[in-house]
Amino acid sequence: MLGPGDTAADFELPAAINGRPSTIRLRDLRTDLVAIFFYPRDFSFICPTEVTGFNHDLKAFADARCSVLGISGDSVESHIKWAEELGGIDYPLLSDADGKVARAYGVFDEKEKVPLRATFVMRKDRVVVHAIACPLNVGRSVSDTLRVVQAIGTGRMCPAEWKPGIEFGPRDQKY
Amino acid sequence: MISPRDHTTTPIDPAEKRKLFERLSNVREIVFGVQDGVLTTAGVLCGLSGAVSDHKQVVLAALASTAAGALSMGAGAYLGAHAETEILGAELEQARREAQAHPYVIQESLLDQLSKEGLSRDSAYRVVKLLSTSQNALINTAEEKVYGLASGLLATPIIDGIVMGIAFVVGALVPLLPYFFIENGRQGLMAALGATAIVLFIVGYFEGWLAHRAQRWRSGIRFLVIAMSAAAAGYLIGLAISPLGTVAG
Repeated sequence: MLGPGDTAADFELPAAINGRPSTIRLRDLRTDLVAIFFYPRDFSFICPTEVTGFNHDLKAFADARCSVLGISGDSVESHIKWAEELGGIDYPLLSDADGKVARAYGVFDEKEKVPLRATFVMRKDRVVVHAIACPLNVGRSVSDTLRVVQAIGTGRMCPAEWKPGIEFGPRDQKY
Repeated sequence: MISPRDHTTTPIDPAEKRKLFERLSNVREIVFGVQDGVLTTAGVLCGLSGAVSDHKQVVLAALASTAAGALSMGAGAYLGAHAETEILGAELEQARREAQAHPYVIQESLLDQLSKEGLSRDSAYRVVKLLSTSQNALINTAEEKVYGLASGLLATPIIDGIVMGIAFVVGALVPLLPYFFIENGRQGLMAALGATAIVLFIVGYFEGWLAHRAQRWRSGIRFLVIAMSAAAAGYLIGLAISPLGTVAG
């Protein structure tokens, strides 16, 4: 699995954006940060909380100059139906049908043939700054990903449980 | 003129069908009890007829064997069903607790199962989502679909024990009855064996009828052949080991 400091592979994948099929190329994204979250499959009872959670906080991610991408092995048609089922998703859901990208990021479960629940936050030069993976049956904390994105955006020392509004660490302290 | 009504078939009332399934769950005890009662008693009569010359003693010994067999089979059926009910009941209870604590686990499992059974993933998701609006509906469906456990089909130990005991007595009466009326030992034995064969065939035929088989006589023959083969094999084994019982003196 990729970790902080690794350079993530570029990719170009078919995607569902606002109910329409499209294509997303990682290097074309212009935001300072990109949050990519892999999830096992559409039409599941754990994933919707994450997919809708990212959608709920999408503006806060945008304010932190961070794009959000969701990736699973499902088809674009499935993503379109799934997004509709969830009441509309405003960020792209990408189709990694053969698991190539998930494997390149080291988050493909070969036994279940689905991506793990993994989240990567990377800079626009594709250098990973944050990576986390959860078991297939445990959902992630969207708010914590947002907190990390916001913290990275400050470029300052952020103590444990830091959130916007909480005091930063001393300026002279090194990481 | 043929009216549209002629083509309609009476729809099966699911509630009636469920009751029928519950009644049929005792078929195993009935078939097993009757077959065992018939064969055990026929075996006892065969053995005693050769060894004991007093007709009354043969009948009394067979009656005692019937009583002991019925009680033993009834108790065995009760204990077996009781153990099964306790173990399955405990598993169901545990599954229920897990489902209440982690509903998404059961939702995901049910979703996978429905997908395997032919529903598209999105349709299966909607079905499970709908079922999830009632915890009972979700858990009951998951018990049957995911765990393969159906609370309605759990054994009823007391009934199973009684049915088995009665079935054994009914079966045992078949070879015994000719003995009540025919005092000649050899003729009585022939009549007992004939009645045994007929009843074994009838039990097999009945089972074929319950299973809606087209050729029920085949079920009868199959039952007769298997049961008689088992009895014959037992008789031959008895003959083979009989020298071991001879005490040197």
